[in-house]
Amino acid sequence: MSFKYPVVMPKMSMTMETGELIGYHVKAGDSVKTGDVLFEVMTDKIDMEVEAPADGVIESLVAEPGAVIDIGKPVLIMLTETQIMAFDFSGDEAPVVAQPVALAVVEAPVPAPAVVLNNDVKAVPKARVEAAKRGIDLRTIQPTGPDRTIMMADINSAQADPAVRKRQSANKALIAKGIAMGREIPQSSFSRSVSTNFDHARLISSWARILRSRPDLSIRPQVGVAVIIESKYGSALPVFKDPDLMSLADLTSLISSTSSAAVNGKVPLEMLSGATTTIFDLTSYSMNAATPLLFPNQITSVTVGYESATTRNISLTIDLRYCDFYDGAQLLDALAASL
Amino acid sequence: MLTMAEAVREAMSIAFDERPEVFLLGEDVGIYGGAFGVSADMYHRYGAERVLDTPIAELGIVGAAVGAALAGMRPIVEIQFSDFTAQAMDQIANQAAKIHFMLGGALHVPMVLRTPQGSGTGAAAQHSQNLEPWFASVPGLKVVVPSNPADAKGLLLSAIDDPNPVIFLEHKLLYKIPGRDSVPVGSGRIPLGVAKVVREGKDLTIVATGIMVNKSWEVCEKLAAEGISITLIDPRTISPLDMQPVYESVEKTGRLLVVQEGPSHAGFINEVIAQMAGSSSFGSLIAPIKRLAGMNIPIPYAPQLEKAAVPQIEDIEIAARDIVKNWR
Repeated sequence: MSFKYPVVMPKMSMTMETGELIGYHVKAGDSVKTGDVLFEVMTDKIDMEVEAPADGVIESLVAEPGAVIDIGKPVLIMLTETQIMAFDFSGDEAPVVAQPVALAVVEAPVPAPAVVLNNDVKAVPKARVEAAKRGIDLRTIQPTGPDRTIMMADINSAQADPAVRKRQSANKALIAKGIAMGREIPQSSFSRSVSTNFDHARLISSWARILRSRPDLSIRPQVGVAVIIESKYGSALPVFKDPDLMSLADLTSLISSTSSAAVNGKVPLEMLSGATTTIFDLTSYSMNAATPLLFPNQITSVTVGYESATTRNISLTIDLRYCDFYDGAQLLDALAASL
Repeated sequence: MLTMAEAVREAMSIAFDERPEVFLLGEDVGIYGGAFGVSADMYHRYGAERVLDTPIAELGIVGAAVGAALAGMRPIVEIQFSDFTAQAMDQIANQAAKIHFMLGGALHVPMVLRTPQGSGTGAAAQHSQNLEPWFASVPGLKVVVPSNPADAKGLLLSAIDDPNPVIFLEHKLLYKIPGRDSVPVGSGRIPLGVAKVVREGKDLTIVATGIMVNKSWEVCEKLAAEGISITLIDPRTISPLDMQPVYESVEKTGRLLVVQEGPSHAGFINEVIAQMAGSSSFGSLIAPIKRLAGMNIPIPYAPQLEKAAVPQIEDIEIAARDIVKNWR
């Protein structure tokens, strides 16, 4: 399955409305890797190269070199094997075409490379040394130290790989879009305490088993549990398919290998879609509760929070079009009982 | 394990045995064995000619020692409390420290002046001061502030060997405490002007003097359990001052905390900060330099206030943790 992916005129500054296409670095039919330069654009402030956001093939070039293009309008169309999003909005319907709204924020403003004295900002000595060395204008750095002082941590986070930052903002935009769609669903949330400890494998497996016993509460025949985990590119949602049919040991090792792969931004393609429910475990952040959010095409969503050394708080959100209040309470009780 | 008082006595005894020109003079150093028992039985072992009880006249004691030193002897002066050196300051600052220079190097003054300093004994404002900046700001004097028995022994032997006047400041509270490391047997010297890296870590550099080295060590141990690893540096000799290990450490840790017991205003430890700020290692700092020192008040008599007037382990712990947590 391929996804059509329009690569658009990026917004490179707050005032930018259009950009001029200087020229393409690729032609239709070319294979490209993430980070390859696709085309160059010019604005009144800056020239820049636009890179491939994912591996794929160039399907078609949309504009002529020299054309002035509105921001957010396609410059070329790519076919990608990888959905840029980490979850599936579409169910079994047509392939997703990423929306311009998600891509318009992909390109962060590029700091000017000029070396300036930065006398008007507070920074620790090492930050000044490093900023000069790396050609960073300290005025573009967000200070998070005491008394609004720029610390080394601020320099380092600003210096994160631009390709990574790009993926992070694309990821955020797509998750935000999914959640925004989910917000339109009539829904209700429940919470309760469970006095037990359990690991991810047990939680995922138990929840999948409960959902499998209620095929009336699923849009799809299989059970796919998306688990929100941290990755290099922000939140990732790998989907564990039919986890209740695996042994706990196999599931534990799959969770572990998936988590470490996700940290490096690599979630296997087959784990990027097919979710029927989502689990978010907050315990490692010492958070005790958050309202679970429904993603499109999912009827349930679960969060687990830290309550005390021996108790956890589990919360469930349900789609009221498929699941009534009584069903929701039953599901949550069944989950608590199974842990 | 020797205490610091015993280690100082052992060093003096070794020097007495090595050189006939070494002798000790001061108030009650003989029959009484010293105000803090440091010379103990030396009077009985070496006799009244080498362990001299003097009148209560500090200017005269140091004046006699300077004269003896000029005449080829190697006197060790003990002043009962460092506060009393005020009485002898003309001989210390204007005579001992200057003669070698003013006579074009023709003569020198190989004198050691040992004296207990510091608070914590309930002895109030006139018996509790840390006066090391008085001496450290006089060119011509060397100033040693040992933090443990092993260093005290090796440094005192070097001080006695040294052709220049050396002020040797012993913290009273350390006299009865054995060190973490046992005192080496024999007459091994520790050179003056060489700092000691007491332990190495990667998150923070602490430079501390005298008893603050011991307090900082406790903090290093405690914070190690929280995953904060600290380099602890004891300059040992504050004049001349060895900054090289401090630079090297700050280049690794990026954070510097300095700790002394004496008052913060114009205190010795400020010299460490000044030299760091003017060095090529300045650009390695990822946090403002933090100073912990005594309050700018005479040491109070009330025990709680006396304690509150100088840095305690908890103060160092809080400062160290804050620097590491707040500056990344």
